[in-house]
Amino acid sequence: MRLADARALVPDLVTTSGEPQADQRLIGTIADWCDRYTPWVAIDPLGGALAEEGTEACSTGGFGGDAGLLLDVTGCTHLFGQGETGDEAGERALLADLVGRLSRHDFACRAAMADTAGAAWALARYAERQADLFCPRHGQRDALASLPVEGLRLEAPILETFVKLGLRRIGDLYPLPRAPLARRFGDLPLTRLDQALGARDEVLEPRRAVPAFRTRLGFVEPIGRPEDIAAATSRLLAALCRQFEQAGVGARKLEIALYRVDGSVDRTAIGTSRPNRDNPKLMKLFEEKLSELDPGFGVELMILAAPEVEAWSGAQDVLPEAGALAFSLGEDGTIDLADRLALRLGAENVVRLLPRDSHLPERVQVAVAVSSRPATDGAWQRLANLKGARPTRLLQRPEPVEVTAFVPDDPPSVFHWRRHAHRIVRADGPERIADEWWRPRPDGSRPPAGTLPPVRDYYRVEDDDGGRFWLFRDGPYKLAANGQPTARWFLHGFCA
Amino acid sequence: MPVISPSAFAPPPITRAITRGATRAAPANDAPANDATAPVSTSLREKVRRLERAHSIQRAGKAAVPLGLPAIDALLPEGGLLTGALHEVEAGPSPSGRVAAHDGAALGFAAHLMGRFAARTPGTLLWCRRPSGVFDAPPYAPSLAAWFDPARLLVVTARRDEDVFWAMEEGLRCPGIAAVLGETRAADATSGRRLSLAAEKSGVPALLLRPQPAPPQSVCVTRWRIASAPSRSTPGLHDIGAARWRLDLRRNRFGVPSAADIPSWLVEWNDETRCLAMVSETLHGSSGALFEERLFEERMVG
Repeated sequence: MRLADARALVPDLVTTSGEPQADQRLIGTIADWCDRYTPWVAIDPLGGALAEEGTEACSTGGFGGDAGLLLDVTGCTHLFGQGETGDEAGERALLADLVGRLSRHDFACRAAMADTAGAAWALARYAERQADLFCPRHGQRDALASLPVEGLRLEAPILETFVKLGLRRIGDLYPLPRAPLARRFGDLPLTRLDQALGARDEVLEPRRAVPAFRTRLGFVEPIGRPEDIAAATSRLLAALCRQFEQAGVGARKLEIALYRVDGSVDRTAIGTSRPNRDNPKLMKLFEEKLSELDPGFGVELMILAAPEVEAWSGAQDVLPEAGALAFSLGEDGTIDLADRLALRLGAENVVRLLPRDSHLPERVQVAVAVSSRPATDGAWQRLANLKGARPTRLLQRPEPVEVTAFVPDDPPSVFHWRRHAHRIVRADGPERIADEWWRPRPDGSRPPAGTLPPVRDYYRVEDDDGGRFWLFRDGPYKLAANGQPTARWFLHGFCA
Repeated sequence: MPVISPSAFAPPPITRAITRGATRAAPANDAPANDATAPVSTSLREKVRRLERAHSIQRAGKAAVPLGLPAIDALLPEGGLLTGALHEVEAGPSPSGRVAAHDGAALGFAAHLMGRFAARTPGTLLWCRRPSGVFDAPPYAPSLAAWFDPARLLVVTARRDEDVFWAMEEGLRCPGIAAVLGETRAADATSGRRLSLAAEKSGVPALLLRPQPAPPQSVCVTRWRIASAPSRSTPGLHDIGAARWRLDLRRNRFGVPSAADIPSWLVEWNDETRCLAMVSETLHGSSGALFEERLFEERMVG
C-alpha cells in the first residue's frame, strides 16, 4: 500500500521515515548487551527489520518486522540458578531475566528457549500461549506441531504452495513422505524442518569471536568508582589466570567489558608481546587502560575474556648471573616494558631494528615488532663493515638542495639547504649506489629488461663550519635538450 | 633520604640578608660549576660542593663510566660519567655562529656515551624519540654500529614530549635496561627531576639528546654541548678526515672545577680504533683549517 492511499484511509496517520541503518546499529547494541548471557550471540539473518530498504520484506514488515537475535546458551544457564530438575531452572531463570531486563529498557520482545535454533525461532514468533515459549528438553516435535508453517523460515512462494495444498501447520508435514517433498520443493523445507527438530545441525555464526577463556562478575549494586572497577578487574584476572594455568596457556590479548545499567557496553583490550599469565603484570597493563573506561551511571556486570591465547609452559628458569641469556630470552623485564610502552604509544612505535641485505641506504634498516627475534650478534657490525661511511641520521625522505659545482662531475662547491648556503671545503666520493633492478618498483611494475637501473652518486661533504652532510646526485651528469643539467641533488643524511 | 634542593647553591641565610639586592644574581644552577659571580666565599662554596658530592656519590652507588679521555675524566666526579644520573647532550651552534643545521655530531657523541654504558652492562638500550620539526631523521643503525650493537636497541617513537619522558622513566625502572636515551626538544624542570630521581634509584644512566640548545636545566649532572668541527684532510687532498667535535662541558655538578669557565676541547673520533682522542688545538686548530681552505680556493680558482 502506498503512503497516499494509507493517508486517504486514515487521515490522522502518523508516519516516520524508516532508518534501517539505525535499526541495524540498535540490534547490534542489543546483541552486544546479550554477551552478558553467552559469548555466542548471532543476529538473525532472517529478521524483518534487517531486510534491504524498499524490498517487500521491509514494506510488509514480515511478521511484524521484528529483528531477531539467536543466543546459544549451552553451558551458560547454571550461572542463573540451579534447581532439582537439572538445568531447567537455570534456563527458565535466564529467559525470565532476559525478557525482564529488555522490557525494563522499553523493548517489546518475545524470547523462546528450545533445543534448536529453528524451534526457538518458530516459538518466539508463533507460540500462542506464554507457557509454550519455554520448550522442555526434546519437546520441540510436539511444540512445533501446532505452529503455522511460516515458522519454518521458508520463502514466500513455497509457503503459498503449502497453504494451497492444505499444509497449514508444521505438524502437517511430519507424516508426509520425504522424497516427493524434496522433489517438489527442493531441499530447503526438509533442511529447515530437520534443523528445527534437531535432526540436522545448524551452525550459528557468532557476532564476535568467541573467546576460549572468559570470566564474569555481576554486582548486586551497580559500581562506578574507578577503584572498585580496578578491584573487580583484579579479581576477574585472578580467576582467569587460574584457568590459564590449568590449560597451560598464556594470554596474548585480553578484553574487558563493562555492562552499564543503561544497557550500553564499554570495552577495552590489552595485548602482550608473548603469552603471559602473570597476574600482577597483566594488572599493570590494565591499570593504564582502565582510566579510559567510562562506567556511566554504574556498572552491573563485568566480563573479562581472552580472545587470543597461546600455549605457554610458564616462565623460563634463568640461570643465575646469566645476564646475556636473560637478555636474549627477554626474561629481564624488557618484553614487559615493551608491552607497557606499546600499549600507550602503539605497537608500531616500539620496535627493534633488523639489518636487511640491500644496497639502498633507506632499505638497510627495517623496524620489526619487539616480539620478533633480535638481530644476531655482530650482524649489524658485518653489515656496517661492508658499507662506506654512513650518516648518523638518515632523512626519511631526501630533501632537494640547490648546488653550484665548477666541474659537472665534481662534488659541489656550494649547496643551499633550507635557505642556508653551505660552502663545501672537503668532500669524499662519489659512492655509486644503483637501484635494485630485481625488486619491483613502488607502483608494482618491473623495470624493463636491458635498461640500466637508476643510480645515485653519494658524496660525503663538509662545509666551512665543519658540518658534515651526505648528499647524492640523482643519476649521472647529463645535459637535457635545453642545456639544463638533468641531474638533481638531494640531501640524505647528517654525518657525525 | 636527603634530597638536594636547587637552593643548595644559594648562600646561607645571613649572607642572603646582607646581599638581598644581589640575590637575584645569585648563582643560577646552570652557571658553570666554578662560576664566581655570587658574593659567596670560595671556601663556603667548596664546602657545599663537598656536601653535595657526598650525597651524590652515596646515592649513585659510586659507579662512573670513564669517557676514555683522561683530561676530561679528571674533571668528572668519580672519574667519569656517573651512572644512575641524568646527562644532557645538546647540539651547539657552529663556529661561525649559525645555529646548528643538524645534530649529527651531537648524535655521534651521544652514541659514543651509549656505547660506553652498553659496554659496562648487558641489556637493552632504550632509545626514545619524538620526531621533531618538518623532517624526520631517525638514528641510522649502520652508523651506530660503530659505537654499540644496534641489535640491543629498542626504539620508541612518541608524538609528545611527555610520552618520551614517560617512556624514559619506565625504562629507567626496568631491570633489563642498560641505558636510556631520550631525544626531545626540551625537558621541563619537573620531568628532568623525575628522570634524575628514577635514574638515581635504579642506577641506570639516562641521556637527553637535544637538537637545539634549549633553556638551561638544573637537574642534570653533566651537560655537554657538541658542535661539529672541521676535520683534517690528508695533506694535499680534500677528503674528509676523522670526525672532529668541539666539546663544551657546560655543566659539571659534583665535578672538579676546571681552570676555564666552560671547559672546552677539540676531540676526534677514530673510526678504526673506536675511541675518542684529544686534538691539540695549537697544531691543528683554526689556523690550520684556514690554511687548508686557502689551498682549496687556490685550486678552485686555478
